[in-house]
Amino acid sequence: MTTASIKETTNIGVSKPRVDVREKVTGAAIFTDDIQFGAGLLYARVKRSPYPHAIIKRIDTSKAKALPGVKVVVTGEDFPHRTGLYLKDRYIFARDRVRFVGEPVAGVAAISEEIAQKATDLIEVEYEVLPGVHDPVYGASPEAPLLHPDLGNYEVPNFIFPVPNTNISNHFKVRKGDVDAAWSQCAAIVEHTFRVPHVQHVPIEPHVAIAQVDGEGNITLWASSQSPFAQRNLIAKSLNMPESKIRVIAPLIGGGFGSKAGITMEAIPVAIAMKAKGHPVKFRLTREEEFFTNFVRQGLVAKIKVGCDKDGRLLAIQNEMYWDGGGYTDYGVNITRAGGYSGSGPFDCPNVKVDSMCVYTNHPVGGAYRGFGMSEVHTGIVQAMHMLSEKIGMDFAEFLKLNVVQEGDKILTGMTMHKTGIKECIDKVTQAVNWGIKEPPSAPNKRRGKGLAVMWKAPAMPPNAGSSALVKLNEDASVTVLIGGQEIGQGSFTAMAQIAAESLGVPFESVKVKGPIDTQYSPYEWQTVASRLTWSMGNAVRNAALDARKKIIDMVAEAWGEKPEDLDIKDGYVISYKTEESISLKDIVVYGIPKPDYSGWVGGPIVGSGNFMPTYVTGLDKETGQGERAVVHYTTGAQAVDLEVDLDTGQITILKAASAFDVGKAINPDLVKSQIEGGFVQGMSSAIFEEMKLVNGVMQNPSFVDYRIATTADIPKVIEAYIVEAPQDDGPWGARGVGEHPMVPTIACLANAIYDATGVRVSNPPLSAEKIYLALLDAGVVK
Amino acid sequence: MSFHRIILTVNGSTEQVDVPGNMTLLQMLREKLALTGTKNGCAAGECGACTVLMNGEPVNSCMVLAAECDGAEIVTVEGLAQDGQLDIVQQTIIDEGGVQCGFCTPGMLISARALLNRNPSPTEAEIREALVGNLCRCTGYARIISAVKAAAEATQ
Amino acid sequence: MINPHPGLPELDYIKPASLEEASKFLAAHAGEAKPFMGGTDCFVRLRDGAWELKYLVDVKGLDGTNTITFDSQKGLIIGAAVPMNQVISHPDIVKNYPLLSEAARTVASYQLRNRATIVGNICNASPAGDTTGACIVLGGVLNVFGPKGKRTEPLSSFFKGPGKTVLEAGDIVTSISFPLPPNGAVGRYIKLGRNMLSDLSIVGVTVLGYPDKTTKSGYRFKIALASVAPTPLVPTQAEELLAEKAISEETIMEAAQAAMDAATPIDDVRGSARYRKYMVRNLTRQALTDVWKKLTE
Repeated sequence: MTTASIKETTNIGVSKPRVDVREKVTGAAIFTDDIQFGAGLLYARVKRSPYPHAIIKRIDTSKAKALPGVKVVVTGEDFPHRTGLYLKDRYIFARDRVRFVGEPVAGVAAISEEIAQKATDLIEVEYEVLPGVHDPVYGASPEAPLLHPDLGNYEVPNFIFPVPNTNISNHFKVRKGDVDAAWSQCAAIVEHTFRVPHVQHVPIEPHVAIAQVDGEGNITLWASSQSPFAQRNLIAKSLNMPESKIRVIAPLIGGGFGSKAGITMEAIPVAIAMKAKGHPVKFRLTREEEFFTNFVRQGLVAKIKVGCDKDGRLLAIQNEMYWDGGGYTDYGVNITRAGGYSGSGPFDCPNVKVDSMCVYTNHPVGGAYRGFGMSEVHTGIVQAMHMLSEKIGMDFAEFLKLNVVQEGDKILTGMTMHKTGIKECIDKVTQAVNWGIKEPPSAPNKRRGKGLAVMWKAPAMPPNAGSSALVKLNEDASVTVLIGGQEIGQGSFTAMAQIAAESLGVPFESVKVKGPIDTQYSPYEWQTVASRLTWSMGNAVRNAALDARKKIIDMVAEAWGEKPEDLDIKDGYVISYKTEESISLKDIVVYGIPKPDYSGWVGGPIVGSGNFMPTYVTGLDKETGQGERAVVHYTTGAQAVDLEVDLDTGQITILKAASAFDVGKAINPDLVKSQIEGGFVQGMSSAIFEEMKLVNGVMQNPSFVDYRIATTADIPKVIEAYIVEAPQDDGPWGARGVGEHPMVPTIACLANAIYDATGVRVSNPPLSAEKIYLALLDAGVVK
Repeated sequence: MSFHRIILTVNGSTEQVDVPGNMTLLQMLREKLALTGTKNGCAAGECGACTVLMNGEPVNSCMVLAAECDGAEIVTVEGLAQDGQLDIVQQTIIDEGGVQCGFCTPGMLISARALLNRNPSPTEAEIREALVGNLCRCTGYARIISAVKAAAEATQ
Repeated sequence: MINPHPGLPELDYIKPASLEEASKFLAAHAGEAKPFMGGTDCFVRLRDGAWELKYLVDVKGLDGTNTITFDSQKGLIIGAAVPMNQVISHPDIVKNYPLLSEAARTVASYQLRNRATIVGNICNASPAGDTTGACIVLGGVLNVFGPKGKRTEPLSSFFKGPGKTVLEAGDIVTSISFPLPPNGAVGRYIKLGRNMLSDLSIVGVTVLGYPDKTTKSGYRFKIALASVAPTPLVPTQAEELLAEKAISEETIMEAAQAAMDAATPIDDVRGSARYRKYMVRNLTRQALTDVWKKLTE
């Protein structure tokens, strides 16, 4: 029942206006920090470790407790249980030792944020500083100090493979064919090590959460959250409580990009609120804390070797990845896994060897960031392909079209690739930038070049991540869609309204989809991550709407004495194709329909329910990474840019950027294009500007002053977005996700373009003006 | 710490507020006047989410002391629409698709309104320059720039 | 570890009625009070604990701090509390001191420039100050109201190091005065930031050039460099070279090289010393070339 017919198109494939936009432009939209809690509200602040690695010798909170206005002071003593999403390796507050700068050591709640802050200054902590690990390759070596001596005893799901007595918290392997035997058959081989620095998500809304615990111990958490249900589950697990005693309310969210998925800082107000019963306890991160105390994107060192035959056919890909996981890798281990099973990039290759290792370091904690693992993986693998195409003397676009993954190919994990429009994506973007034509720069001190990159990404999630939805009809024939997936800016509420309207047969304008998501009332949704909502939640909404539709039609059929198959719902009316009768949905969807001659009623309030869960994903072998179907599907795409490099400064100006993604079916083309454009700029920003500058574990630039992101002045003159549609067999109207993908190929795309312009490869982001200029200088291109 | 009694106009209505010396205009708007449309993104004058009009000119309200605002005229995002009629920039940012998560939107709209007040027909370069202090992480800016262009054209 | 206050730490806001009162208060609370104009730097330093103050003394509006006055005989006075946007758009400044407008326009964002001031920029003594170079090459002089009365401070001896100046407790800079610019003067400020606009400078190069019959070249060029030394740097050798030798592409390159040699930048989070040195050369060359072109148009 999930694959919808394509005949009706009044609401699907149409750029309907956003349902959440008026409140957002008038200031009426409520975000978490906007909720008013009244005089009982307490404010939390956190005492943090100034050291990247140290033993906690002593904590003295007496002075803080004595400060007037302070209500609660807690430390790791109060919360002895380990927690974590995929690997239980951390405490809410550090207990015996600290493993990154900024790690929470104690928490305070007071009647004002100022007093809470002052109290944290009064907490005395004595440390014994230990040698640290600040590089993942070193961290993986036997010489490195062990950061988690108990790693072997940590609780993990069966698809995460820690290596006890090392700092490797997950070692994911792919062994397809025989890479070692293939090198000798290669006509060209490229070997290169790529380094991708830590970056931060930078949602404009910093993290904020408020927790309250009532007299019976029921917990309510209001949070800027991408995953209220996952948070409920994680809190329940870490406190050993049933889910039903925990309620998570998630209002609109001011950007998340993965940083607000799972549990990070939200655990802190919950922990404190348990000791301050009755009081709501608010905790918000400062922008500075946002940069290094919460999730960041892991750094990566990737040692890549690729080879092809004389005609440019790929013969072997080897990718050895060391992920800089940070002090705790409860989420990072899964990023490593995703980076591993997509570690060949979107290429068809008979021999693939991937080692993807998550390494503990004394750096900030890695978490999900928009297409996690994929920007990092593609930075290396796609540049390596560009180098290889040059070595074998082939145009890069031709090389890509020869080697990209196609329907029926056995990909690196042994899964058979489904239909994909990646070649069409390449064609669209290469046409957009006049690929193959060398165009003159705008000034003598500039060099012009073009770059191209491809990508793939699958939703990285447990095999059984589920969605559910309720579709409820109201007296006025309006429709309320209840869902548990979040509106994070991508337009999910709008897309769900379109899907419900189309499935039910009512006008789009009559469908209401609104937050907040509330685990007490909203149906279950795993998380708003992985570009999975349109596909997974979309299926659930469609099923719920079809269920409601069936109930309405059955009711009318009974009342009219007709067969259901002769009835339809169009534009808010039930119509009969047989009798040409029609009846408005008004009132009947709540009150039912009277039978003739007061002989009774049929029907009743209409509520449809639906769910969706993929049931076909299989496990992968621990030693070979082989399995029938590792993921639900891959979204693919391509990006191209035309840019200039200023030889006096190294600055780049992007003249045009073009992106194309195969989204299966664009439910709302304008919203899809918005994701593609915005994702490109975010990718461009990370490519050119962004880097957490870590010196011995201390971030040197935790503010917008020195962690620069793209502004209005930095974006390309022209940004083009193209939609390709090779339908997904189990997506609603063939749709699959695209929220994360647009930033995945961008670093490689820009690096390839800079090389094309200057003949100098700057392979490691950020591709800053400084790095480019100094590379040109060292290469003798400038003097 | 002493409090200061200030009288000011916010979105056309006169307010009297007692504020401590270290309270910023942003905190006063959000915490004393419950005008939560103005957002706190960095508290350092860098992101622009807290932009409001002060005596007709845009400022980062996190960089202004509330105590300084005695006698000032403040307009926040809540004051842009008149009698339910959206300001033209509010309308064009909707039409052009310049809103995603919506957290930067209030500050962005105030900066755009201020630009059009001082320069009713800005060039694209002038729009980019005027909005450079409003960070957006979702949209990639292009549609916001188009929205300001469209608003300028609509009022010509 | 940087872990700043979520808001401003506890402090009092003082609004004195006169400069005398303000100065007395500041002198009596040395180390715990500072004059307050736009607050753009001050709030950041208060939040991150670099400054620990009990009082902010608002000097906006006191005796001439809010005004711009131009006299075609005497020159220009910009009040200490005049926000940069007013400097950028003031018709007399646009006409007579366009370099000031040009430099101010590169500072941060429009909304920040409604609070940031030129005098504040100078008093913070950041070597990265964008408008400081223009003030130096235009011969700016600070008017100071102190415990002992009024005095002036030339910029050439004002800066003592990053964040350090000759000002003492109780001193309030009330305005900055500029003589009339030399006849035929042309200015240029080139700023290199990480972003195209709004960033702090990695390197900033200010050049003012004008015809001068007393030099061998027939021109005088004044140069000031931002972010390449502990204080704003005037590369005197480069200036002398341009006074001595006939101006040509080669002379300009030689002067740019001299500027590069004079720069003593450090590696910091915004850029390496090596990159900065090359950028001093390239941007000085570019700024000199732009100015030279206009002078000879």
